[in-house]
This record gives sequence, structure tokens and C-alpha cells, in this order.
Amino acid sequence: MKLTRSDRSPLIAFLAPALAIMLVFFVIPVIYVIVVSFLKWNGISAPAFANVTNFLKLFKDKSFVRSVTNNIIWALVAGFIQVPLAMVMAIILSRRPRGWKFFRTVYFFPQVISGIALATLWRAIYSADTGLLNGLLRALGMGDKARDWLGTVETAFPAVLIYWVFYVGYYMVIMMADISTIDSAYYEAATLDGASDFQQAIYITIPLIKKTSLLTCVTLASVLGLRQFEQVYMLTNGGPANTTSTMVLYMYKKMQDTNYGMASATAAILIVVGVIFIVCIRALFTADERTGGKRRRGA
Amino acid sequence: MKTVNKLLALLLALGMLFALAACGGGTTQPATPATPADPGTTQPATPATPAAPAAAGEIVINFPSIWVGTDSKAAYMSELIDKFNAENAGSIKVVVEEQTDYQAYRDKIRTTITTGSAPDLCILDTTFDIKAYAESGKFMDLTPYLQQGWGNDFADGTFDAWSVDGKTYILPFESAVFTPIYNKTILAAAGWDHFPATYDEFFKMADDVKAAGYNVMGQMAGDNAWSSMLWYSLIVEAIGGKDVYANGLSDPAFVEAAGVLKKMYGYTFDGAVSATAGDVNGHFIGRDTAIYLNGPWWIANFYKEDNAVNGTLLADECEVAVNPAYTGGKGAGGLVTTVQGFLAAAKQDDPNKEAAVIKFLQYVTDPQHVSELALSSGAMFFVKYTPSPDTSVISQKVTEVANNASFTILHVNGAFPTAFSTEFPAAVSALVLGQIDEQGFVDMLQTAIDNAA
Repeated sequence: MKLTRSDRSPLIAFLAPALAIMLVFFVIPVIYVIVVSFLKWNGISAPAFANVTNFLKLFKDKSFVRSVTNNIIWALVAGFIQVPLAMVMAIILSRRPRGWKFFRTVYFFPQVISGIALATLWRAIYSADTGLLNGLLRALGMGDKARDWLGTVETAFPAVLIYWVFYVGYYMVIMMADISTIDSAYYEAATLDGASDFQQAIYITIPLIKKTSLLTCVTLASVLGLRQFEQVYMLTNGGPANTTSTMVLYMYKKMQDTNYGMASATAAILIVVGVIFIVCIRALFTADERTGGKRRRGA
Repeated sequence: MKTVNKLLALLLALGMLFALAACGGGTTQPATPATPADPGTTQPATPATPAAPAAAGEIVINFPSIWVGTDSKAAYMSELIDKFNAENAGSIKVVVEEQTDYQAYRDKIRTTITTGSAPDLCILDTTFDIKAYAESGKFMDLTPYLQQGWGNDFADGTFDAWSVDGKTYILPFESAVFTPIYNKTILAAAGWDHFPATYDEFFKMADDVKAAGYNVMGQMAGDNAWSSMLWYSLIVEAIGGKDVYANGLSDPAFVEAAGVLKKMYGYTFDGAVSATAGDVNGHFIGRDTAIYLNGPWWIANFYKEDNAVNGTLLADECEVAVNPAYTGGKGAGGLVTTVQGFLAAAKQDDPNKEAAVIKFLQYVTDPQHVSELALSSGAMFFVKYTPSPDTSVISQKVTEVANNASFTILHVNGAFPTAFSTEFPAAVSALVLGQIDEQGFVDMLQTAIDNAA
């Protein structure tokens, strides 16, 4: 449909506030971050142009490389372990088994508790000398397995990551809402054809939520994985030996050092990594559309 | 009809834009019309001294403070500010913005200063780049006021290291000395009736204490690795002496001290790599650790009933020691110290407000008030004051150690740029976990400093 001149004015008028918000709260800050990433600036003295020095320093810094690696692992775990786990829970609870409302509440409950409080709780659980986890191991006669979970290079990052994976309630609720909109006729027909619950989930539920709530949840979870901060800050502050550091924590530490150039360079790289992730996820979820289209065109 | 629709759409869009603009502007309502652009005048989130709104003509001084909550100076400072406000009712009012988390406070102050001007009053420490702040032009020049006699209240040489071109913008206020305090009962159980005079003897004592079933000292590489930073400072001082910082981290004392620090981790409690200050304090209060190292502000805790065991105060079991000498070291008789708190005031355009801020600063740093503050908190100050006769025994002994010191050096966090203290926990944990050697430890810290330069 071709827009007429009279159509354009209201369109522009309605889009203007959203564009203004985007401009003020996203475009300008991003441009500002990119500009500062090329500066040497301590936040007090006059900034000086630093060319690409900040980026070169970042890539030479093992701690930064480790932070990027950790973030990528985190985002992948979020998108491809946490969300599928949430999807399984959503599919099971959507079948409305006995006590489903209770379990839905239980799984969602951690979402209403702040990340800081949860991290504090888990810090106590992981504590080397008074922690619940080591206490449990000792009680089970496995005292030799007790260790400083957050202070050992091999266990610190998995310890920070693992408990978080099981907080699936947020994504579960989103997918449950989506599943509830699927026409029950599909399931009735499948039941008449002798399809099991598992087959119905595989051939009806997942395909129907794949490009809606599942894509949304994978994108959301991966992006949240890329911007992890408070959990790591509270549990390990990036330690031991920077093995649990993330990009946002790294950026925060650079701001503490009043090294705003490197902090902004980190932010710029975080944006790029985020965009790459989103593009890859979308490509992955729409791959069948593209191959299907090719087939159709080839037919 | 189309025209009406267009007009309506335009009005809606303008309305939304107006609402957006209104939201943006509402976050920085000035408290006083005299300084409309001063972010220090934004409304406090949790005012400790809320009282009534400012009266007409009353000058409001906003003071984001960390001396609140459970801080040892909180009670007396609150009392002092209330007293000042009562004495100056109708003309000056100090409004405290409470911030109970030290790191969050630093972040807030740093961000406020970077994104605008300084708060009316704030507390800085050595994690801030004091020299850069002093040169920034955002802080009030206190020199003329100090020269009018106020400066005589401070110990000689207080301002020298922190002045820029002979001018004092940021006022050293709270000092701190760091000397070990040990549990006599634990040492006695290990067969020791005195604290070791050398580090060689120290490790012999450590073996005995460990054999008796106790931890020797609290170490922590979690959080800001505060305790380990202090121990490292003591060892660096013992090895390198008073000029150890003269050539940055290139003095061999830093590498050697790293080896001693690593050895100490063999004598601390389990989980020290991920431990925080709470763990260190808890172990010492729990009487399973022999030696404690922290600033004098912690002394009040030795006298708290909450920390008593079977009616015996922690203070009754403890004794103040001096940093042992290091064989072949240059630091015998030295002392590790720092400026724990600077008072800084924003540069003011309004002379009346400037006078009000100075009046409050002079009130806080009045020797009599500082004496009472020292008594209530156990903290030490650069202001010359007569200690109260009620000063605790431990405070008196710490002061004696300070007075007997032949020289002082700053702790390592205070002596190097902020990047050092940010990287220190990671470097310590890497050292202790064997990922790097002693030279690697120093290199890691040097790289952090170089990256920030």
C-alpha cells in the first residue's frame, strides 16, 4: 500500500516520541560510549585522543579475554540449557498435572527475589568452612570432596553459573502463556491419531512456540547472560585470579580505576558481541524458513 | 475529519514529548536556588537528618556520608550534626545522605564528580586519585581558611603530601595506623608469652600456633583483599623500609614480600582465597585465630559485649604488637599508615554557602569534638587533640606504637594508583593458587597500573 502525503503526518507524529526516546536513551549514549572509547580520560582532567590504544590494551589483557569467554559461555548456557530447561517445565506444567499451580509458583518464586539476595544466600552455601554444601558432603562421608568452591580456579565459574541455570521461572511463565494460546484441537487430533504426550510436545508444542516465545526467551536469556554483573560481583568479585570475571564487571573495575576510555571500549565491544549473538540466534531460529524458501523457489 | 485526526495525533505526540521532557528535568530539583546546577543539592534518598524543609534563607549543605549505619563514627557524627543544626537553626542546615556500603559510596561520589560537580561535602579516601581531584578545580580552596589559624589544629605536615602548588583543596582528616593485635590466650596455648620480634621467629610461632589447632592470622583474597593488602604492606615495610615506594614496584622488596604473603596463606583458615572481611573478623572474634590486623576504627569492637565469650571481653584477651623486623630488611621501627578519610568540599559560587561549609568543617574538626569522636569510635585523626582519660587501653597502646615509630609509610593501596587496589585481589589469589610466581604477582600489578596510565 502506497502512503499518501496525508497518511505520513500522523505516522511521523506517532513515531516521533518513540524515536526521541530511542535517540536520547540509546543512540546518543552509544555514540558517546564509542567516542569515549577512543579517548584517554580519567573523568576529571581533559580527555585526550588515544586512537585505538584502549582496544589494543583490552585484547592484550588476559583478564578481559577471560571475561569475554566467560560471557560467551554464560550466554550459551542461558540460551541453550536454561531456556530448554524452562521449556520442558513449561510443557509439563501446561499439561496441568496434579499440583501444577503450586509448582508454577515455586519455580517462579526466585524471580521475585533480588539477584543480590540470592547471591548472598549462595555465597553462604558455598562457604568453605561453614557452607551448607561442604557440610552436606561431610555428612555424606564425602569430606574429601569439600573445598573452597568460590576460591578454586576449577570450581569458581561453574559454581557461579550452575545455581543460576535452575532459576527458570521467568522463561517458563512466558512459554506457558504462549502454550496456552495453542488451539486444543491440535492436541485432540494428535491424541486420536495415537500420539504420545512426548510426540505432541515435539511435533506440536515446540514448533508452534519456536518462533514466538522460545525465540524471545533464548534472545532474552542470552542477552542477560552477556550483561551479568551483580551475581559475579557479590559471589566472587571476579576472583579467584579473575577466572569468573565478566565484561560488565571488568568495565565496572575500569570505572573504579577512573579509566573511562577502557571502560567505554569494553562497553563498545559488549554491544558488538550482543549484536552478533542476537543476529546468530535469529538466524538459527529462522534457518528452516530460509531453506524452505529455497526449496520452494527451486521446485 | 482527516485534519482533525492529524491535529489530534500531533497533540498526542507533543503531549508525550512534553511528559518525557518533564520526567527528565524532575530528577535534579535544586534544594537551594543559589546553586541550581549543583548535583550535591539533589534530594537525598535517605536523609539522616530529614527534619522540616529548609526555611527561607537557610543554607542547606548536602553531605553524602559513609559515617552512618554501623560505622564506628556514626553515632557521634549524627549527634554532632544534630547539635550543629540546632545551633545554626534557620541559617545553616546540614542534610546527610546516608550510604552504608563503602564501595557503593565511593562509586556514587566518583560518578557525581565525573558527571558534574562535587557534592557540597564528601569523604574521600586513598582509592580516589586525590591529586587529580585537587587539581580538578571542582573543590574549594581551603588554604586561606587554614592560614587564618584553623590549620594550627592539625598535626605538622598534615597537608604537605596532598597539597597542589601549596594549596590545600582536600583535607586529610582521619588517619590510621596498622599494627598487629594478637590473642594472648591463643599464643599462650601455643607456648608463646610474647609476640615475635622478627619474621623468622614469627613463622616459628606460626608453626606452634597451627600445631595447637588455631589459625595464625586472617587472610582474604575475596572482595578487596583488605587483610592481605595490609599484611603485604607490613611485610613490604619490614623488607624495604621507608623509601620502598621511591621507585614504584621495581624495588625487590615487593617480590620478596609476595613470597612471605604466600607463605602466610598456609597459616590462615580454610577458604581464605574467597574470604571477605566478615570472615576474617568472624574468625578472630570466634577465638580460633591468633592475630588480627586492621585499622584503629575496629578497636571499639574489642570492647563490645556481643564479642565477649563467657563474659570475657575480646579486649581482655588481646595485646598490641609491632610489625616484626625482617632479617636483612630496612624497615625495623617503621609503621604502616594511611589517610583513612579526607574531607572535601565543593567549590561554591555563593560566598555565604562557602562560609557555611567552612563553619561546619571547622565545627567537625574542632579538637574537642575530635577528641570525643576518637573516644567513641577508636579512630585516629590528623587533628591535634587531647585524648580523653577514658580512652581504651588498646587505643592507648596503638597510639604508643604510632608515637614510637621511627618512620611511616602508606599502605600499598594508598601508595599506588587505584588500579593497583582493583587488581590486588586477583593478583593475590593467582599467587596463592600457584598460577603465577612472586615476580608474576608484581608484574600483574604493574600491568594494571600501566593500563590505567
